[in-house]
Amino acid sequence: MIRMLDHTADVGFEVEAPSVDGLFEEALRGLLLVMFDAPPEGDGEEEREVRLSAPDLETLLVRWLNELIFLVQGEGFVPVSAEVRVEEGYSLLARLRGVPLDVGKYGWQGEIKGATFHGLEVVHRNGSLHARVILDV
Amino acid sequence: MSEKTRTGTIDFERLSEYKYRIPRQGKMRVDAVFYASERILEDLAAEDYASLRQLMGVATLPGVVEPALSMPDIHWGYGFPIGGVAAFDPREGGVVSPGGVGFDINCGVRLLVSDITREELEGRKERLADELFRSVPSGVGRGRKDFRIGRPDLKRLLVEGPSWLVERGYGEPGDIDGIESRGRLAGADPDAVSERAYQRGQPQLGTLGSGNHFLEVQYVDEIYDEDAARAYGLHPGQVTVLIHSGSRGLGHQVCSEYVERFLQVAPRYGIELVDRQLAAAPVDSPEGRAYLGAMSAAANFAFANRQLIAHFTREAFTRSGFGGRPLRVLYDLAHNNAKLEEHGGKEVLVHRKGATRAFGPGNPELPERYREAGQPVLVPGDMGRYSFVLAGTEGSMRETFGSSAHGAGRKMSRRRAKKAARGRALIREMAKMGILVRAAGRATVDEEMSEAYKDAAEVVEVTDGAGIGKKVARLRPRIVVKG
Repeated sequence: MIRMLDHTADVGFEVEAPSVDGLFEEALRGLLLVMFDAPPEGDGEEEREVRLSAPDLETLLVRWLNELIFLVQGEGFVPVSAEVRVEEGYSLLARLRGVPLDVGKYGWQGEIKGATFHGLEVVHRNGSLHARVILDV
Repeated sequence: MSEKTRTGTIDFERLSEYKYRIPRQGKMRVDAVFYASERILEDLAAEDYASLRQLMGVATLPGVVEPALSMPDIHWGYGFPIGGVAAFDPREGGVVSPGGVGFDINCGVRLLVSDITREELEGRKERLADELFRSVPSGVGRGRKDFRIGRPDLKRLLVEGPSWLVERGYGEPGDIDGIESRGRLAGADPDAVSERAYQRGQPQLGTLGSGNHFLEVQYVDEIYDEDAARAYGLHPGQVTVLIHSGSRGLGHQVCSEYVERFLQVAPRYGIELVDRQLAAAPVDSPEGRAYLGAMSAAANFAFANRQLIAHFTREAFTRSGFGGRPLRVLYDLAHNNAKLEEHGGKEVLVHRKGATRAFGPGNPELPERYREAGQPVLVPGDMGRYSFVLAGTEGSMRETFGSSAHGAGRKMSRRRAKKAARGRALIREMAKMGILVRAAGRATVDEEMSEAYKDAAEVVEVTDGAGIGKKVARLRPRIVVKG
């Protein structure tokens, strides 16, 4: 589940999922909803693999989002779907499928500078995981 | 005054017509001071004083020099409020905070002035708008085709700034004199910049970016201070160009990496953080020095970025029939950085997050021609109304560590602005007002609509009224290029 947040200068979202892996997959969807008016759907033809590690889960989430932002804005690769595995410790392995960036087709909403730690939280609530992220745009 | 908020009560007192003090409370180490009118106070109340809470958070950081400040265009940021100014004393354990500089390191504005008249512009406006849109790309998904830079040269540019470009024909020698710190921050360390930051920045030199970045062709429609205007070379009806951009992906990456790194080391230095985006390390620490080296390199990249955009702007003017009509750099300044400066007889690190350096008359850092009038302060407004030129004052030197406002400040979130713009044809509405808009996409035009911003005139009135800047001139847009 994704809920977009309103922040005067910036944008953000809250995501909810039953597992950590699912939470990171939802975070990709949240990011695409910020970046595009009509994000690409389905399965992309191109494949990428991402490996990351971080001292804690929240930092791992920030790194994940920053990596995705780089793939879209720097490499012109828009991940459409992700299979994410997060290990204790914390590390992440993600297999991404995606499509080339097409700013006109997907309704590009403008650049994102980065994910912030402001108001960032990852918490367990009622048997599922919740995260809140604010992006600087 | 005592205002109840959802997160507790905030006490503040009025010191003068536009100046308020938040006395030290809770974990604050020093008092905080903010500048506001009645209307700006209402805006602060409407967001439950969240930005004042952020200002109070800044006042908790070690080594902060009294007072922590915010300018009249304060609004909610992350960590520091936008419009925040805070100085830290390195000899008192003062810190540097990458979040207090912001993602867009050395983001700023450059004002070019011409001898072209408004009437001359009108006849060639369509052509010029198209030429500028082609010449100044947003830089998303594609870099410049007409300018490439290799890694060794980019490393030199991070040290030398715009001078590197001017020496290679991208600009004129006189340009450098009109740039804050001559476009070259000392201590820039290209080796403190990561591989990823290089990857992001390399194809983006000479690109505008999106969001609130823009290039505007304007004219001077009002002069408030004849003497300062004369010193700056401004007169009514004259065409000007305002460029707003920053350090692009290179700066964003430097910020991201150092915020993370500082979060890890802050506890080691006993720094307690009320917001993680305030992550900080002592100025005088290996981490602090590394960040300042990387930040200065990113700052020089930002100055160079505006230099290259100015070069391609000049070419667009030439192609539009304005050949042989010079576009002189009036001033280029940054509104997101941290600089070591002398205030009150000691050297302090002044963070300006969405605030402009505003040195007063007589300051030796200013070019000779501005020394009597004070530093030009450029305050862009929203794209439909106006921007202002102010001058730094003795008041800004005395009260705000030589700082002033940097813009209008948002009052509507981007999402709300897009909703409000639905069903409206903003580009056509602006064309009816005589303003041509060229934009990569509708989204940035919608979210940047005039109504999404506070009135810059209000911010300028408070700045002028409080004596931390002096009104010099007003500029009206005729062409707006958005990323």
